[in-house]
Amino acid sequence: MMKLDLKWTLLLLALAIVFIIDFPILTVILNSFRTTDNILSSRNILPDQPTLTNYFYINTRTHFWTFLQNSGIVALASTALGTVLAALAGFALSRFRVRILGIYNQALLIVQMFPLILAIIPLFIFFRRLDMVNNFVPVILVYTVTQLPFATWMLRSYFDSVPKELDEAARVDGCSRLRGFIQIVLPLSAPGIAAVAIFSFLFSYNEFFISSVFLRDENRMTMPVGIQSFMQQYSTDWGSLMASATLGMVPTLILFLLIQKYMIAGATAGAVKG
Amino acid sequence: VPIHRLPLERLPYLLLLPSLTLVCLIELYPFLTGVSYSLHKGTLLNTGAFVALDNYVRLFNSPDFYNSLSFSFFFALFNVVFSYLIGLGLALFLNLDFPGRGLCRVLLLIPWIVPAVVSIVSWKWLIADRGGLVNIMLAAFGVGPIYFLSQSGWAMVAVVVIKIWRSFPFMMLSLLAQLQVIDRTLYEAGKLDGANHWQLFWHITLPHLKNISIVQAILMVIWSINDFETPFLLTQGGPSNATENLILLSYRYTFGRNDIGRGSAVAILTLILLMVLATLMLRQQRRIA
Repeated sequence: MMKLDLKWTLLLLALAIVFIIDFPILTVILNSFRTTDNILSSRNILPDQPTLTNYFYINTRTHFWTFLQNSGIVALASTALGTVLAALAGFALSRFRVRILGIYNQALLIVQMFPLILAIIPLFIFFRRLDMVNNFVPVILVYTVTQLPFATWMLRSYFDSVPKELDEAARVDGCSRLRGFIQIVLPLSAPGIAAVAIFSFLFSYNEFFISSVFLRDENRMTMPVGIQSFMQQYSTDWGSLMASATLGMVPTLILFLLIQKYMIAGATAGAVKG
Repeated sequence: VPIHRLPLERLPYLLLLPSLTLVCLIELYPFLTGVSYSLHKGTLLNTGAFVALDNYVRLFNSPDFYNSLSFSFFFALFNVVFSYLIGLGLALFLNLDFPGRGLCRVLLLIPWIVPAVVSIVSWKWLIADRGGLVNIMLAAFGVGPIYFLSQSGWAMVAVVVIKIWRSFPFMMLSLLAQLQVIDRTLYEAGKLDGANHWQLFWHITLPHLKNISIVQAILMVIWSINDFETPFLLTQGGPSNATENLILLSYRYTFGRNDIGRGSAVAILTLILLMVLATLMLRQQRRIA
């Protein structure tokens, strides 16, 4: 009996902690259903007169759906590119022992600590000369590289868990090894690859800094850059800001729920391989 | 049957080629160009004249640089310490056996996974001068209002607190992962030897967490020093540069003042600083391990 009580006490304590920690996010969602006047005047945390006004405003008066679509394009493209590159390199790291692989692994460590501003200054100048500011390509390429260390290490550890004998075909030329990788190792690692891809997508979808430097035209902005521009334009219109923030985090929360059980593996991937 | 039979020795190079090409284009090329920019007095339109180390000398004589250097340290130090303490506390808590702990773990990760811009919108309202929840609650106790974003000290506190809130879940998650692989029988053996809870924690739990703790602390120092989003979205480095870290300083020199020489010099110094810090901490790890 005592033991049971302790368990429920712990659960209550845990729920209280969750409430406090997630409170800022909760207020965004709740406030998105209130007018700005109501947010500023009401002493209630729950909306007393719930309304969809803010959402109608976002829908009709802003480019929000364009931002969302741009985010989707950039995130999908960099996820696809990043996952393919990381899978190829991860397979090499998992199955071969060549000097350059060790060097590349060290280089990934430096990539992981590389201050993005250092990449952005020359790249901005470089891509501006090519008239590619407000173009998705530079953003996609930078996102892809930023994801490479994590994605490569994580995929490598998934490939490591597939027995080598399965893909070491009898004929030992490069083509048969590559076919073994594509036909045997990749399908067996499918859940891991999906998790890595969703991680990459989340990162790209959430990212603000790189997009804000390259995508300045309102029709090209990604969702975080768009919401930041709302913050500057309607700094006191909390209702619309909260509605755009709520809509903006819906894709994040859905993807997060899909991969949350892989999160533990992800959180230690950098540590184990780094 | 393949027409061109690929020699096996070439395969790893071929597999690496696409990644390596992109890393060279997106990081190696900018790094080398950045070093060159930092030795020139240039603008975004024109690389400008060679000035040797002049940009660095001017940085070492400028209060802006020391201000952002010290804010970067302050930010990283407080973030690592508090993310670790909160992360460790919650990891130990979630490692206890109670119903719903899996769900609680998922919900506690939310501050870490939502886009920075969403968090900042939320916190900006919570700590707003007028109508913000924190000031409304303070007023109920007859305190305030506190102008969180227009007073230097409070702005620094606000930026750091929000960063800790965004960072601790990652620490919690990796410590929890490590806690769950500690061999249970060690604790049973310890109990048989008459050890109390505190001794079990000190002699079994902590030593098992040592390695992951150091690695995660290194990562967190790197990410804190490299953070642009939290201070930029919350304060844009203000008021009067109180929350301007090295990255924001480099950004302001480059895009605000159109001075790519000094902007690049700050960025290069940041990279050097990070590499020195990471090397020192890794050496420490090898010494302990």
